[in-house]
Amino acid sequence: MSIVLETQSVTKRFGGLTAVNSVDLQVPEHTIASVIGPNGAGKTTFFNCITGFYIPEEGDVLFQGASLIGIAPDKIAKLGIARTYQNIRLFNTMTVIENVMVGHHPRMKKGLIGAVLRGPSTVAEERDAYRMAMDLLRFIGLKDKADVMARNLPYGDQRRLEIARALANEPHLLLLDEPAAGMNPQETAAMTEFIRRLRDERGQTILLIEHDMRVVMGISDQVTVLDHGEKISEGPPDKVKRDPRVIEAYLGKPLEEDV
Amino acid sequence: MAVETQTAPRGLRRRRIRPYQVVQIVVAVSITAFLLYRLQYVLFVDDLYGLDTWTRFLISGLVIGAVYAVIAIGYTLVYGILFMINFAHGEVMMLGAFAAYFVFEALGAIPAGAETSFLNTYPIISIILAFIAGMSVSTGMGLLLERVAYRPLRGGPRLVALISAIGASLFLQNAAQLMFSPRRRAFANPDFLSRGAGFEVMISGRPVLITYTGTFVFVGSLLLLALLYFIIQRTRFGQAVRAIAEDQEAAALMGINVDRVIAQTFALSGAMAGAAGVMWGLHNGIVYHFIGFLPGLKAFTAAVLGGIGNIPGAMVGGLVLGVVEALGPAFLGLDFQLKDVIAFSILVLVLVFRPSGILGEVVAEEKV
Amino acid sequence: MAIRNGTRAGLIFGFIMVFLILIGVPETINVILQEATTNIDVETGQVINTAAFLFVMGVVAGFAAARKEEPDPLSGAVLSGLIAGLITGATTGLMIIILRSLALSEIDLREYLDKLSPTAIESLALRLSPILAGGAHVLIFALSGATGGLLNWIGRGPWRGPVGQMISNTRDRLARLPIVAQAQNSPITRYVVWAAVIAVVMIVPQFLNDYWSFVLGTVGIYVIMGLGLNIVVGMAGLLDLGNVAFFAVGAYTVGLLTAPEPVGVLWDFWTALIFGIVLAGLAGVILGVPVLRLRGDYLAIVTLGLGEIIRILIRSDLLKDFTGGPRGVRDISGPSLFGLEIGSERTFLYFILVGIFLLIFVTIRLKNSRVGRAWIAMREDETVAQAMGINTLNYKLLAFGMGAAFAGLGGVLFASRNQFTGPEDHTLLVSINVLAVVIVGGMNSIPGVILGAFALKGLPEILRQLDEYRVLVFGGLLVVMMILRPEGLWPSQRTRLQFSDEDEPVPIELSSATSAAPTPIKADVEEQKQAATR
Repeated sequence: MSIVLETQSVTKRFGGLTAVNSVDLQVPEHTIASVIGPNGAGKTTFFNCITGFYIPEEGDVLFQGASLIGIAPDKIAKLGIARTYQNIRLFNTMTVIENVMVGHHPRMKKGLIGAVLRGPSTVAEERDAYRMAMDLLRFIGLKDKADVMARNLPYGDQRRLEIARALANEPHLLLLDEPAAGMNPQETAAMTEFIRRLRDERGQTILLIEHDMRVVMGISDQVTVLDHGEKISEGPPDKVKRDPRVIEAYLGKPLEEDV
Repeated sequence: MAVETQTAPRGLRRRRIRPYQVVQIVVAVSITAFLLYRLQYVLFVDDLYGLDTWTRFLISGLVIGAVYAVIAIGYTLVYGILFMINFAHGEVMMLGAFAAYFVFEALGAIPAGAETSFLNTYPIISIILAFIAGMSVSTGMGLLLERVAYRPLRGGPRLVALISAIGASLFLQNAAQLMFSPRRRAFANPDFLSRGAGFEVMISGRPVLITYTGTFVFVGSLLLLALLYFIIQRTRFGQAVRAIAEDQEAAALMGINVDRVIAQTFALSGAMAGAAGVMWGLHNGIVYHFIGFLPGLKAFTAAVLGGIGNIPGAMVGGLVLGVVEALGPAFLGLDFQLKDVIAFSILVLVLVFRPSGILGEVVAEEKV
Repeated sequence: MAIRNGTRAGLIFGFIMVFLILIGVPETINVILQEATTNIDVETGQVINTAAFLFVMGVVAGFAAARKEEPDPLSGAVLSGLIAGLITGATTGLMIIILRSLALSEIDLREYLDKLSPTAIESLALRLSPILAGGAHVLIFALSGATGGLLNWIGRGPWRGPVGQMISNTRDRLARLPIVAQAQNSPITRYVVWAAVIAVVMIVPQFLNDYWSFVLGTVGIYVIMGLGLNIVVGMAGLLDLGNVAFFAVGAYTVGLLTAPEPVGVLWDFWTALIFGIVLAGLAGVILGVPVLRLRGDYLAIVTLGLGEIIRILIRSDLLKDFTGGPRGVRDISGPSLFGLEIGSERTFLYFILVGIFLLIFVTIRLKNSRVGRAWIAMREDETVAQAMGINTLNYKLLAFGMGAAFAGLGGVLFASRNQFTGPEDHTLLVSINVLAVVIVGGMNSIPGVILGAFALKGLPEILRQLDEYRVLVFGGLLVVMMILRPEGLWPSQRTRLQFSDEDEPVPIELSSATSAAPTPIKADVEEQKQAATR
């Protein structure tokens, strides 16, 4: 099993605040790795360091062996890392299928001239992209809503559409930022199942951020716990669940609980 | 799991230099070189202008810069709280100038004693009345603008609010033109503040005139700026403004009436523009429908130069811009027609090299 | 309720009426109507026209006042209209008493208020003495206000439901007919429609004289520039106020390359055309590199500044030897095709039309392509677009360059048709006009751009008296459009879908702030509500 993503003591500071402090992490291929932690633990900042929106002050991010530091976010996407957002960020006035096709952008080639002349190769590329997008929509169960405006979808569908948009990138690594945020237990269960299918049916490598333990524990191959920007625990879900430091971070010190 | 990866030595940041950064450096170096060349040329080679002339430039720059600063405060206040450029701000200033013009005309027509008018018999009262009129009209205009053109759009896309602001600016400018005709009108100052009169100072053997209007405007602007700074830093209203600028939702949760504070901010910004308009009229002596446009743009430049959203920044930016604009053409050996080009070039250069301005925080990059 | 609604509308309309009188609208309308009705003598016409104008305004005021009333009883609507009319009438009445008294004592107000000429005041006073005129205003507005209220009540009457139902039913049934459905989806229909449009457009100029060909040519040039700016503003979401800079590049390129003075190289028009477009596009890209890194609102100001810089530079003594300074460039040559001179206004109109069709073709192709999707995604959310692998800076540059090239083409055509270009052709107003064309018509919609160009450049030609109000109306329209219909007069298909979940048309309301929140915000609020209920 090869390592898709490896971070080496990644540190990101904002002024005096250290949002991510020397975090090491490895994501092997075809697995689901999770980063959990209470709110404000630095999870999303960590994602932004991987996707190139922040440049960490120290440490390195290696993707398939090559460093990502200093590479622009769009180039990183092109290398094969796609992400979703904690607060859904779809292209609201575009249709469902168009959203997915935008996700496929880095895998397409035709530029201005191709678009204007619309020769056979452009038509073929567009058709392939369309079919790929339709396949993805079938996979997430939104085929019938392909021409609906993205903002008119119900919440759960928007979540899945966002994942489909990321999948259209054909990524080597999929970053999911709290995919179950704002969902009720049934929806959460469905989402968990969906993520599991991504790994089992499509062999997708996934790095997942969650603060909902139920999602993480059921499907993760490996869990990393962050608190105040630092890694406090790591390992298979069962082990992490029993780690006293994790329990403390989530529930507070037992003493405080009594008070 | 045996993984082979080349690791970079810890602590060593590999820097990838992008082509744009190279361009930036080249431009910066060449501009600096050119400025240094001009500096030595002006100092040692060329003696076209004596020290007295430079002093004149400096004085006129400081006066105009002070007015820019007062207008820029309005931009910065609104931007700080709403992250929106109040495009019509220059027009608000123009209307303030018109209001003062009408007050002076009316008072000038009222006879008081033999051969003089109210305006010259009671000049202080007249000037106060002009300021009251100018500031009230502009305050009202600021409130009206906010209510009609901006409030319905609050929270929507920025582009929409900006287009609305541009529309409002065009509307006001042309309404003024239609109502008052495009004619340029002479601003009738009271005699003791007549333009062209002033103290003379001898500099390198030649007289340099410091006009009364210039002195009045400069001192008046500094007083207004100090007053505004006090309002923002020391009053409950100022506290509310700063709270909303920090986080609108949190401020609302703390019981601040966001709508009201925003309206008050527009009122305050309008009042400042009105005062600036009156001073502009007193000093430059001409009012017509277009006088708000360029000062408005320049004041925006000043606000950006100082760091938009930052009140001391607007003051510094205004003065710096005024001085640079006054000294610039002579210093660069350019035609005085190109004065405005200098201001806009500064705007572009600031935004390219230091979008946060002289005193500002980095605001040019949106949060991820 | 009736009293409050009426008072509110009355005060707003009173204010609006005072403003309209100050900017001289009643007199302008009076003059237009007098020209239309030559058989009535001037003095009678003056009274009738003004009274009619006041009456119409009163009806609108009454209508607006009654809008918030309950549908039942009738008295509420009429009462609120009546009160609105009375208050409006009292305001204008008071104003007219003062104005008429001053005018009668021979005080000329035009020194300060340009539009208040003695004739204008005379018309406004309906040729009556001050007090009578004031009374007449109150009376007219009271009557018309009540009428407006009544009309509003009738408009909402019980019969409206069934009739509306019938219309929409018929439409649905028509749409469900198999032939119609098939035709709508068939590419053949599309080709037939396009062929018909092209045929009509190509035949129409045959019936136009030189003047109308010239007017339509101007409209056409604005369509071209609008299509260009539509890519920048409508698709890529970059607010560019410096369009005139690239327009100037195009105009001066063709001017300097083909005119005998001041450079005198006398190149062929077609070469100059290509140079003009390419240079404008290049200028767009070069200026874009530093500028496009800025956030949207800064971009607007900086491009505005660039437009001003260009104009100042053209005028300046610095470039006088190249640009002819304030005098401009004369005797710019026009195109010729296979030895045929395209000289007359009509042939030039054809030339412009060909350009428009080409650009429409390009725009449609771009819209439904990888490039167009990237632009729209960028407009929606730049950060996410970048995370999806779109090189945002490159795509912004591409859009900006395209817009600049289109503007350059506009400049080339404009200068070459007028055979002249000078600094006064390149004021900020050009940028504003084009922006208004794009926004009023509907962002990202091709028919919208055409409609916008006709409305904003064509209409003022038909009603010349209204020309002086053009920019004022532009400004007002920009504000009103943003508040009521940010999607424009003729929104694009995609945007139309976006707003289709709102069945009720947004009511036109003058106190815009009270109810008409812009639709995007509404959607956001709904989203938040959804999130909150979860």
